[in-house]
Amino acid sequence: MRRLAAIAAVAVIATVTGTACSGVGGSGEAGVYTTIDGAKQIDATAPINPFNPQGNTFLGYDAMSLAWPKNDPVDPNLFYPGIAQSWTTTPDQSQVVVHLQPNAKWSDGKPVTSEDVKTSIGLAYTQGGTAYAVDPKAAGAAADVIVVDAHTLKVTQGANKSNTFLRNVLSTVVVPAHVFGSLLPADFWTQLKLARGTGPAAEKAKATITGLAQKVITFAPAKDVSAGPFVLERVNPGEALLVKNKHFWASDKIAPKMVKVLNYTGNQQIWNYLIAGRLDSAPFTATPSGVLNRIRQTDGNEVVKGFSPVAVSMAFNQTKAPYDNVHVRKALAYLIDRSQVTKVASPEGGTPSPTTTGIHSESAKSWLGNSENGLDQYKLDPAKAAQELKAAGMKQVNGKWTMPDGSPWVVELHVPASFSDWVAAAKAITSQLNDHGIQASVLTSADYTLYLDELAAGKYDIGLWLMALGPAPYNIYQRIYGSANGWQLLAGNLTHVAPGTQGNWMGGPETVDGVNPGALTNQLNAATPAQQKQIVGTLATLTNQNLPMIQLYDYVNTQFVNDSRFTGWPPNDSDMLRLPAGVWMQLGLIKQQGAR
Amino acid sequence: MTVVEGMPPTTVTLRRNFWRGVGRVMRRKPSRMVGVGIVLVFVFMGIFGPLLYPNPLPRDDNALYASPSWAHPFGTDFEGTDVLALVVTGTRYVLLAGLTTAVITVALGTVIGLLAGFHRGRWDTVLMRLTDLQLTIPGLPLLLVLSTVWKFTSPIEMGVVLGLLGWGGIARAVRSQSLSLRERGFIEAAKGLGLSTRHIIGRELLPSMAPYIAMNMLIAVTGAIYAQVGLFFLGVLPFDANNWGVMLNLSVFGGGALSSTAALPYLLAPLLAILLLTLGIVLVVDAMDEIFNPRLREE
Repeated sequence: MRRLAAIAAVAVIATVTGTACSGVGGSGEAGVYTTIDGAKQIDATAPINPFNPQGNTFLGYDAMSLAWPKNDPVDPNLFYPGIAQSWTTTPDQSQVVVHLQPNAKWSDGKPVTSEDVKTSIGLAYTQGGTAYAVDPKAAGAAADVIVVDAHTLKVTQGANKSNTFLRNVLSTVVVPAHVFGSLLPADFWTQLKLARGTGPAAEKAKATITGLAQKVITFAPAKDVSAGPFVLERVNPGEALLVKNKHFWASDKIAPKMVKVLNYTGNQQIWNYLIAGRLDSAPFTATPSGVLNRIRQTDGNEVVKGFSPVAVSMAFNQTKAPYDNVHVRKALAYLIDRSQVTKVASPEGGTPSPTTTGIHSESAKSWLGNSENGLDQYKLDPAKAAQELKAAGMKQVNGKWTMPDGSPWVVELHVPASFSDWVAAAKAITSQLNDHGIQASVLTSADYTLYLDELAAGKYDIGLWLMALGPAPYNIYQRIYGSANGWQLLAGNLTHVAPGTQGNWMGGPETVDGVNPGALTNQLNAATPAQQKQIVGTLATLTNQNLPMIQLYDYVNTQFVNDSRFTGWPPNDSDMLRLPAGVWMQLGLIKQQGAR
Repeated sequence: MTVVEGMPPTTVTLRRNFWRGVGRVMRRKPSRMVGVGIVLVFVFMGIFGPLLYPNPLPRDDNALYASPSWAHPFGTDFEGTDVLALVVTGTRYVLLAGLTTAVITVALGTVIGLLAGFHRGRWDTVLMRLTDLQLTIPGLPLLLVLSTVWKFTSPIEMGVVLGLLGWGGIARAVRSQSLSLRERGFIEAAKGLGLSTRHIIGRELLPSMAPYIAMNMLIAVTGAIYAQVGLFFLGVLPFDANNWGVMLNLSVFGGGALSSTAALPYLLAPLLAILLLTLGIVLVVDAMDEIFNPRLREE
């Protein structure tokens, strides 16, 4: 056994070393665009099916949405056209009319029609989801799907309106009805109507629809039929090869003849691809400074940076003492030097959060304007921290802070072991706290799934937590005042469950100074832009003062491109950087190097 | 001649001859002296290492992943902490876990092997099926599963688990030796004299196998070091900045030591420590092999 463990460890080193040495010299094949899929690793046995999480379809290349979200820091309803050429919506988003690309065709030559979109929506119902929830009371659920003509489709929203309806409808992934249509029973739409009612017939219909989920996920078409610029030719454990789809409506814009999507086992393998100059572009990959410098030295490699609507925070379990006391949370905020934490953890892929608002600092500028200046910045201030700790009743004995009853206080900061920047951040935080007399240590979980399970089970006092997942303000604050903090939205009804139950691990109070932050967050769904701004202002102030979490650093979307074979990349800060390179090609950006 | 009080002169002479023999063995190959030196250095680091540095270790925010220098012979880590200090202060955990594993492995393996080999019959059948069962347990997957529920925060816990998973091989080897020895004349004579089983196993069989067991114990230490460092490297055990496996993990996955030179010293330092410690133990085992060789003792 011991030998086995040792062999396993050595094998990992050998594999990584082998990877480091492989592939030097770049792909070098003319017209072949080489990249990786940042969303998933390749599983050659997975079906060619976009409904399968491991499916061998690649968004932007052979998997197409109606439109591509720009993920604007403030407006979630801005898109680039996809299969939809244009769209219109009523001011309250009660109705969305989608006009398809008139010349869109599948890779087998058949036209893309409204029936394809309707079938795709039907399949989406089997998987559940925001716009396509079977429960008609769910916020933002579609009420009806009407085919107006071969290239026009109307989708109406149910009674419980959400201002993210347009976004959710346009994010629909479209699959060919002549391939996937047989998965839906002939009376599917009748069943759906039934399922929206009440009584035993409705329950039976609901069960029929949700019962289709597994059948849809496991469906394996014999070949790829794509409406995107590429179609999957073959896939093996090392790479997927996609060839140009001659039927794509804007194929003249597509420079590469083929796209090679390389597989990877971890970040270091992506770094090695980049150092070898093999990748024409790579999405965000956490990269240490030394490696980034090495990547930059490779001919043609460039780093492009833009906004990424994600931040990292240190979230408290308020069911556990002393983190139920706001003074303790504030004291910790005053003791953490976020600049130093960012410098240690993510010097290239993050910027220290100016303060805690719950929003990425780039978005906060637009949402909060000057009012952000009125918030507490929580700059490093040990004196203020000591005041806060004393206000919480904590005691200082021989330079060490203890609990009010004199028992030892040990801050345990939990992180998943596989997130190297989080591990480094947690270590930097505990070092800082130890410097100030607070005994602190880092505890790791073997993997992220286990970490989330244990976090939800309330086993941790403090854990690092992704937040500010915009751009929709509801999504942003849902991370703080959502199910993890006790607010559950079921069939349009918002309830607050007791701390420590049903995944409520944050355990914050239901109201703070008379304000119910969960209810306010829920209102963001249906609020007008002006109302949203007001609510966001209230929630940002509340978050800043109540500190259910301490915002540490905001991610920067650091991407890599290589000019050797292709050119015409999105510039720094372009909203296209938040979309796959296949979409850049659809929008006519990428050109063969040297082509006129 | 100095005679130790209460000890017969022949015993003292034998002991003096033994140490002379040890001296000769060590001088015959100077590398053995080097091995003993290396092991002693690591033992010193394990006992006194944490006392040599302030706790917590100093950090330099302006020297993250600093190159090797006189101040930092192996550079610094992601937090600007001296890598050599991390290796030195991390020795205690590695050695303690290794020793605990070795003691448990050898103790369990020896007792079970001796009892099975000496008694034979039902004892042998039961104990060897138990050993077979232990040998079929896939250690690494079991440890990966265990790590999800058990955090192994102390080196003793780590050592106990590794020990309980690793005694099967020694038990089988000791049983084989026992089966051979129990047929020898001196064991037959002891049985004929009506000596107790405890006496025969403890005073007759065990001393004959002591050198073999001692060497296995040292080798078990190296095995335990590989196993625990490997588990920490895979990231399944708790974070401790000065653990050698954690250092390897962070240098590769956090610092990109296999992709750029910045974090390379951070990777090499714990690797070198593991290499040196293994080398030291192997050289000591080499010396022990000759020391306990009966022909040497006759010289």
